[in-house]
Amino acid sequence: MSAPGKIYSAPLLVNWSLNYSCNFSCEHCYSRFEKAEELPAEQVLEAGSRLAKAGVLFANFGGGEPLLRRDLLAVSTELTARGLSLSLNSNGWLLDAAAAAGLRDAGFVSVGLSLDSHRAEVHDRFRNRPGSFERVVAAAGHLVRAGVKLTISTVVCRVNHRELAPLLELAKSLGAAQVYLHNFKCSGKGMEHRFELDLEPLEWRDFYREALAFAGNPLFPEISFDDPILASLGARDAEHGIPGSTCGKLSLHLRPNGDITPCGFIPLVLGNILRDDLPTLWRESPVLEAMRHKTAKGKCTACGHYASCLGGCTARAFAVSGDLNAPDPHCWENPCG
Amino acid sequence: MDVTVRYRRRPGLPWREEPEAAREALAELEAGRDASGEGTLLVVERGRITELNILGGEIWKLCDGSLDVAGIVEALLPRFEVGREELSADVREFLADLLARGWVVPS
Repeated sequence: MSAPGKIYSAPLLVNWSLNYSCNFSCEHCYSRFEKAEELPAEQVLEAGSRLAKAGVLFANFGGGEPLLRRDLLAVSTELTARGLSLSLNSNGWLLDAAAAAGLRDAGFVSVGLSLDSHRAEVHDRFRNRPGSFERVVAAAGHLVRAGVKLTISTVVCRVNHRELAPLLELAKSLGAAQVYLHNFKCSGKGMEHRFELDLEPLEWRDFYREALAFAGNPLFPEISFDDPILASLGARDAEHGIPGSTCGKLSLHLRPNGDITPCGFIPLVLGNILRDDLPTLWRESPVLEAMRHKTAKGKCTACGHYASCLGGCTARAFAVSGDLNAPDPHCWENPCG
Repeated sequence: MDVTVRYRRRPGLPWREEPEAAREALAELEAGRDASGEGTLLVVERGRITELNILGGEIWKLCDGSLDVAGIVEALLPRFEVGREELSADVREFLADLLARGWVVPS
């Protein structure tokens, strides 16, 4: 059984899906088929207070498209005042100059925009929304001019994995401080389009080798990865020292109705932020316990990287096998094991 | 470093105490054992987590802009079994490190 690394007294980060409603229907979307009632503003504030009281430092709004919530700026201003450091991810469609200024004034530390390709036609097709490339580029300009830290989020998949350099160049030209390269997840529409969009394990290896060569290059924005299988390339995130997935160890996810899941891609409800005591759930949840003490299965049993990767992304493994301990389907190690 | 300056934590830099770890570290100290390796307070900057030990954490919490080095030493002396000179040197060294990181600013 694996050691979990250090588990702190509470999550540091909560990824918070304020709403699942969206004005886009992207090919990879994990939440397009999700349904959950949205909390009204006063309950969002109560949830935020509970997070802050438990010691959570960061909340990142996703969804859904957070800017569709009309009360977003009002609740964010209040949540910032209650001590949460806020960020959000948006497709940029609704992010004009006024919205950018509003996000700045509400205290957002950074705003991430989804950008899938440096080519407008690829981005628009992937997002199923003509004109979305033009709008997200404009949104980046609005954020930078408003003085908001801009980050770019890219879901790596078959439409973009061979065109990383021009994407990074575009991100740089837009003024992005950081590019998050998210690994493709087989959840929601991502599962539906898995065989068209996901890469083969050896393609993942080649992509990461190329991406790691760009990391630290001052010509490009800072690159962040969130994939534990990087351990087998000797490049697992050093800053947090947590082996394997960080979900359930440093972070949790909130659904729009306040239900708590380990991450946005694992549909196992641990409790509800408005009904349950978060520190108790964090300490005692059997699901989190299982995620923190994984047992090597299949090809992982003989793999020398297991201690640092712990079977890779637990969400991907669970999505394709129903087993939290199954090997990550993206893993390129020991293919015949 | 200028020991007459009062330092405060950089506004907006996220941090929190680890209450259970702090209690354990204090219990170790009371039992006369070394607790310097135990992280009791976390500072998170650009995704990187830094753990401060019990003495570092207590200095950090006192960096509210109201105390200079001598004031911080005075506040800590009753709580740690250490001589004034040694504690003063530790506080100065730690504050110099925080200053170099940009985690505290002159008040």
